[in-house]
Amino acid sequence: MKTENKVLACVDHSHFTDHVADYAIWAAKRMGTPLKFLHVIAAHHEIGSGADHSGAIGINSHETLLTKLSEEDAAQAKAAHEKGRLALNRLYERALDAGVTAPDMKQRHGDFEETLVAQESGVDLFVWGRRGESSEGSPRKIGRNVERVVRALHKPILSVTEGFTEPTRVLFAFGGDALARKGIEWLVGSPLLHGLPIYLLISGKDGRADMKQIDWARTTLETAGFQVTFLLIPGDPLTIVAQTIQEQNIDLLIMGAYTHSPLRSMLFGCKTNTLLASVNIPVLLLR
Amino acid sequence: MESIRQDWFSNIRNDLLAGLVVALALIPEAIAFSVIAGVDPKIGLYASFCIATVVAFSGGRPGMISAATGAMALLMVTLVKDHGLQYLLSATILTGVLQIVAGWLRLGSLMRFVGRAVVIGFVNALAILIFMAQLPELIGVPMAVYWMVIVGLGIIYLLPYLTKAVPSPLVAIVVLTAIAIHFGIDIRTVGDMGQLPDSLPVFLLPDIPLNLETLKIIFPISLTLAVVGLLESMMTASIIDDLTDSNSNKNRECVGQGIANIASGCIGGMAGCAMIGQSVINIKSGGRGRLSTLAAGVFLLLMVVFLGDWVSQIPMAALVAVMVMVSIGTFSWVSIRDLRTHPKSYSVVMLSTVAVVVATHDLAQGVLVGVLLSGFFFAHQVGMIMRVVSKIDDEGRVRGYQVIGQVFFASADRFVASFDYKEVIEKVRIDVSRAHFWDVTAISALDKAVIKFRREGTEVEVVGLNEASATMVDKFAVHDKDGAEDILMGH
Repeated sequence: MKTENKVLACVDHSHFTDHVADYAIWAAKRMGTPLKFLHVIAAHHEIGSGADHSGAIGINSHETLLTKLSEEDAAQAKAAHEKGRLALNRLYERALDAGVTAPDMKQRHGDFEETLVAQESGVDLFVWGRRGESSEGSPRKIGRNVERVVRALHKPILSVTEGFTEPTRVLFAFGGDALARKGIEWLVGSPLLHGLPIYLLISGKDGRADMKQIDWARTTLETAGFQVTFLLIPGDPLTIVAQTIQEQNIDLLIMGAYTHSPLRSMLFGCKTNTLLASVNIPVLLLR
Repeated sequence: MESIRQDWFSNIRNDLLAGLVVALALIPEAIAFSVIAGVDPKIGLYASFCIATVVAFSGGRPGMISAATGAMALLMVTLVKDHGLQYLLSATILTGVLQIVAGWLRLGSLMRFVGRAVVIGFVNALAILIFMAQLPELIGVPMAVYWMVIVGLGIIYLLPYLTKAVPSPLVAIVVLTAIAIHFGIDIRTVGDMGQLPDSLPVFLLPDIPLNLETLKIIFPISLTLAVVGLLESMMTASIIDDLTDSNSNKNRECVGQGIANIASGCIGGMAGCAMIGQSVINIKSGGRGRLSTLAAGVFLLLMVVFLGDWVSQIPMAALVAVMVMVSIGTFSWVSIRDLRTHPKSYSVVMLSTVAVVVATHDLAQGVLVGVLLSGFFFAHQVGMIMRVVSKIDDEGRVRGYQVIGQVFFASADRFVASFDYKEVIEKVRIDVSRAHFWDVTAISALDKAVIKFRREGTEVEVVGLNEASATMVDKFAVHDKDGAEDILMGH
């Protein structure tokens, strides 16, 4: 039995959450798919609790300790459930007000990555904030789990930043690789961005092979009714992308994410990470 | 990358503090276990340092403490007495090799055959052995020793009510040592037990003849050591799994224990394994990551090497108090209460495991007996799920027997006895389509019944044998498919 795919909004208690909800509502309405809010409660069993350094073990020490630790966990989990429920209820109301019918809400325990991978089959688009609550107040621009989780997933991800503006002008950073082609096909197949002007940007070296890809991308998009503007600007991709976003008043960037191996990105740095951190508009990551 | 960070550095402060608490508790244990094995305290101390440090990297269960243990020490006694230290060191290395092989063969999963009753029996037997090992220090000694043990236990158990900031076993040791020195009480001290470490350990291969003769001496001991070490490690790992609500990698733990034992043997240490009591102390003190295990090992060595002179002054009575605490903490006292409520078969398995271990001082034999007994009891119980109903068909000319339930070695005799062979009747029809024939014994039992009927001149028809014997397919080709339980359980 095939169920309709949905937009999955990953929410937590960070200040991005409202914007995540807004973008998810926008996407769900455009795509005409159900919307689901997911709150993942992570348990930190790797962090010790208690300050009992007496080092003495007495009668039934192991059973007593087990009871004590599980009671602590239970209390924490209950508080987290309640907090999550309140947050989800608020977002539920927000979605109803925005005209989404019957958004779904779910809380799950577990690791963020594992949970999303388990949910992936019923999802068309993930929406999350580029930082989670654990990075709140830290100087880093994107959460430290982002790369790991993105690599584990195979569906497009909308990574949102602060504020919500309904996307009207879209920039597609087109690399001409397989991932980019898959992305074009996804765009054509999905109603998410239909009718919006697309800027197809090629930076870096201009080769013959590229031209063929560009023509293909352009024709495919135009056939599907997109209004395509083609930009070929040689130079450092990072600078060019940032520059184009400013010049053309772009409010949504599309790009392939993490095409290189984790090792390479560790050794030479990663374009996806740098770009994600440098732009201040939402980014649709293609997988 | 992420998991390395999580295993090592997500709990730094708690891990370091817990490691320190554990190190302080490990010192008396390592010394006591060396005494049990009949070697110098430095053998156990080097082993504890080395095993804790290496397992921190190689083990599969972060937060579990491994070091020289009583379970292992007890198995070495004869080897040390008859052949000396060098043979112990080589046996330790061989133990490690065997454990690595066990990890590669993924034998960790065999732990599922060790039921709860056996585990509890193991733990209780271990506690009793640790306690019994203290008796030589308590028999034929001056009255002062008893007083010291009592005072020590008093401090260990009462101090935590005042403060939980300092390890009470350490306070007990310090206080008792101070009393002994101040009043000049003439009792045995750690220094009397043999040499303590005066330097960092050095790499040294055991000095033994490399021939078949040597292998014959050390192999049986190494095999038992490997089995007991893995058993205790696997049991401790699942205890820590429960306590921290997280998973461990059992096969990696097997290999990890092996590597640690090889390393221990190479620097002059005895074989060891995971320790239930110490691991519980570690978790209780807030230790969770690999750093806690590493810290325990490193702190232990630093304290012993630099405080060696002081350590040698510790009266054995203080150690006895600590070991009694370990023994009390390891014993599962709930299991005594549960004796009244749990099924008899459970209690018999548990008590037999304890009895065999206490009699043989060999935990491996106890576990073997426990596992076999649980197997017998299980077979017996499942064998009871078999009945034969009969009715007369075709106007009294045919008798139909219907067999329902499990037919295998444990129920085969009852199966054969369920038919009325003496009845004078034209034909019997045995319908086995709602039975399961699990083994060859079941098939031969059916043959036997058929022959018995024929001898009485009765014609026999067997119905549904294909369905009944589907369970005999050893490859589980049927059993593991979706819907298999309907086929197997439905009829």
